[in-house]
Amino acid sequence: MLSPRRSRRTAATVGAALSVALMLSACSGDSGDGSSDGTIDVWAHTGQAAETEALQMLVEKFNSSQEDVTANLTLIPEADYTSTIQATSAEELPDVMEMDAPTMAAFAYDRKLIPLDDVVSSETLDNRISGVTESGTYNDATYAVGMFDVGLGLWGNRALLAEAGIEAPATAEEAWTTEEFTANLEKLAEVSPSGKAIDLGEANGFAGEWGTFTTTPDLWSAGGTLMKDGKADGVLNSDDNVEALEEWASWREFADPNTSGSAFQDGQTALTWTGNWMYPTFSEALGEDLALMPLPDFGNGTKAGHGSWQWGVTPVAEDDPEAAGAFLDFLLTDESISAMVEANAAVPGSTSALEQSELYGADKPLELFATNLESACGSDSVTEECIAVARPVTPGYPTVTSSFGSALLAIWGGAEVKDELDSAARAIDSDFSDNNGYQDD
Amino acid sequence: MASPALLLLLLFVAVPFLAAIGFSLYNVRLGDPRAPTFMGFTQYARILTDPDISRQFLQALLHNLIFAAVVVPVQTALALSLALLVKKTIPGVGIFRSLFFLPVVFPIALVAIIWRLILARGDDGLLNSALGFFSGGAFGSQDWLGSGLTALASVIVLSIWQGCGFQMVILLAALQQVPAELYEAAELDRASAWQRFIHVTVPGIKTTLVFVALYTMILSLRVFDQIYVLAKSGGGLNEGATRTVMYEAVTAAFDENNIGRASAISVVFFVIVVILSVIQRRATREKEG
Repeated sequence: MLSPRRSRRTAATVGAALSVALMLSACSGDSGDGSSDGTIDVWAHTGQAAETEALQMLVEKFNSSQEDVTANLTLIPEADYTSTIQATSAEELPDVMEMDAPTMAAFAYDRKLIPLDDVVSSETLDNRISGVTESGTYNDATYAVGMFDVGLGLWGNRALLAEAGIEAPATAEEAWTTEEFTANLEKLAEVSPSGKAIDLGEANGFAGEWGTFTTTPDLWSAGGTLMKDGKADGVLNSDDNVEALEEWASWREFADPNTSGSAFQDGQTALTWTGNWMYPTFSEALGEDLALMPLPDFGNGTKAGHGSWQWGVTPVAEDDPEAAGAFLDFLLTDESISAMVEANAAVPGSTSALEQSELYGADKPLELFATNLESACGSDSVTEECIAVARPVTPGYPTVTSSFGSALLAIWGGAEVKDELDSAARAIDSDFSDNNGYQDD
Repeated sequence: MASPALLLLLLFVAVPFLAAIGFSLYNVRLGDPRAPTFMGFTQYARILTDPDISRQFLQALLHNLIFAAVVVPVQTALALSLALLVKKTIPGVGIFRSLFFLPVVFPIALVAIIWRLILARGDDGLLNSALGFFSGGAFGSQDWLGSGLTALASVIVLSIWQGCGFQMVILLAALQQVPAELYEAAELDRASAWQRFIHVTVPGIKTTLVFVALYTMILSLRVFDQIYVLAKSGGGLNEGATRTVMYEAVTAAFDENNIGRASAISVVFFVIVVILSVIQRRATREKEG
């Protein structure tokens, strides 16, 4: 009878100690918002390990490079990052925060960002590549600056491609048509050790941003898009989109669920559909056998997504924007950008860093991503010529991606494409009309 | 004496509930500093009549009820049989008790990730490869989480696996309180094992059984985590076949920033839960009386 009683008392003590510790840590969390003392709080998402290490190194370097400003970095897991910012009121945000490109407009609309045109130096702003400029612009003002932009492509294992007698296309013009792509999937399924030809990233969850980011290029390439002039009905559920997603869903029989997370780099599948950040892993595993190819062409030319993590300044820093500006200017120097893209193999976000890049440029391994970005356009006006397309820049984007993602997940599971897109379009339009079209004035 | 309890009730039940009623009448958007516009009962009308939203809400409610209808009896029965098994005083019984209790220690999100690997579609999913191995390949790969037929059943199975250890421990404690003399007396009267179970064990732990069933019922109504994890982070869970009311409320609030609709869903659900608990209280009271 004695021992349970004693352990109960221990449990109570531990519980009390824990709650005191929690209260203390909650209090200390509040202390950082005085921005005039030269301390700025910085929030960022926890990305790939190498990317996070590079960022931590840059923050340390910034702090030791000068006396006036100290940056305190807080890392937040990627899966909860956007909802954390969304649920935090503007006064409790840090001075500087990172955000994924398509969420910028919603944060600007919610008055959680201030224009950067007078915060960041004009040299830094003028040096940005056009893709980064476009992702950071909302209502004709700059609300975010990015260290890099992303590329989305089809990666192939040359050994397996050769075994199936398939040539890897290298430029956008040579992209496979969907017929060729499906035929190749069939051939590659036979030579892939797993019996599946491709990893489409379904383990990342099509219902989340992954689905929207990797699948919308199919719509753009088929001549469709997500929405036009603030309306989704008749656009999202167009015949072009329905056909494109029926095609996409038909690839399921060739798709590896990739529960191990390393199907492609282990040589289990011949193809994978993902972004530049996997390049360091892939090239280490496959070496010369790694091929980067454009995504399949659904008729309107191959397309790719762009727009990545970028930085903004919140109203908390409004009294003393120089400190935040100095930090962003530091992050956007060619030296900082090079350190970051070495870790994630992204497209460098400044023209001068891009010129010096060892991965991007004529005959370099990731040339395709840089050329894709040279012909970039917005989601509202996709032409046959443009290749990299940004996701819609609208404060209503959270509803767009959530409704479209749910539709994608259902379509992947075999649901009727037209019905799912109809219902997603109705949900988006109803949200836009509730919010007066997200008119921002 | 009751004032601290009343204060807590007020703070954590009454205030949020009244706030939810208030929010549900306005178009409240998460994070938006603009003053919300008054919408009246539009959100309620949508939940109950809009072809898309009400279809999803009613589906979600149905899934909750199916979940409860299966999980409450099955999990309680399973927990009781486990408790009877580990009640015996044989050497090493502590190991079994710990093993059966172990899943309770895992957060349900972690359990969902583990079961995602077990139920993965394709030949390398653990369940699929095991079934394929034992059937000599005759049993083809199933998409356990993606198929509308098995998605909810899969969630039910993993939830029972995670939850029943806890009920087992509660029932085990109750079983140990049943006086041994009663069993001895029953044995002297030549009662069979089954008769001892029905006439000694069950009456002896009846109040605990009712508590366990009630508790499981409440947990079943708020099932959310495992479904969210499996649907949103790559489990490929069939959302249409498994969405629950809590899932609807949370995704409305935090994926679509629509606090107004999320509040309206919560208010309607609150009313439904109150009705259900009144019915259940009536039913159990009759049993006791």
